[in-house]
Amino acid sequence: MRLVLPREVRDEIVAHARESAPRECCGLLFGDGEVVARLVRGRNVHPTPETRYEIDPAQLREAIASNDDTDRFLVGIYHSHPRTEPKPSEFDIANARWPQQVYVLTSLRSEPPEVFAYRITGSEAPKIPIVES
Amino acid sequence: MSVTVRLPGALRDATGGETKLSASGGTLREVIAEIDRRHPGFASRVLDEGGALRSYVNVYIGEDDARTRGGSGAAVPDGSEVMVIPAMAGGR
Repeated sequence: MRLVLPREVRDEIVAHARESAPRECCGLLFGDGEVVARLVRGRNVHPTPETRYEIDPAQLREAIASNDDTDRFLVGIYHSHPRTEPKPSEFDIANARWPQQVYVLTSLRSEPPEVFAYRITGSEAPKIPIVES
Repeated sequence: MSVTVRLPGALRDATGGETKLSASGGTLREVIAEIDRRHPGFASRVLDEGGALRSYVNVYIGEDDARTRGGSGAAVPDGSEVMVIPAMAGGR
């Protein structure tokens, strides 16, 4: 398993994280299977966006309503950790309800920001390799 | 009345992997109960002990958020598409 992530999409994730700081950013990664083709910035509607995110459910519904094969075309979900490491927190794991999708995290803790990908199923969150395209 | 129910995300665990089902019922609660009869345990994943929608589940009837139409008691018109969408949420 791997995630194929175009350089420009990776850069857009980092740009979104920088623009959103000190709040967490979030968004959707669309493509085909393990290959990301494009990014849609999400609206973080969580009431404490400095430490939490929730993608606007209406935006999510609109994004996935037009295609039944969500598993295939919704490749992943991204969000940022403005001050902590780019790996799933206990809260991330406890609230992960999209086991077919890849979770991409970026952290502004270091410069340049790191970007990593994970699959979160149950209490497991193994890192998966990112292949830049 | 017959409706189509879509289950993106983790809720398929409660329906044997099915992500699109046909169900019947005049209200959201009745639709959920009908699916629960076929897939016991489904209702408890969507509704809390008081019968309200769980906080981490968002349900749309067509384009309308069910919470704005009465929550689990919302009317579900014949032929509707119901989407039961787990929250995409987390944080440090």
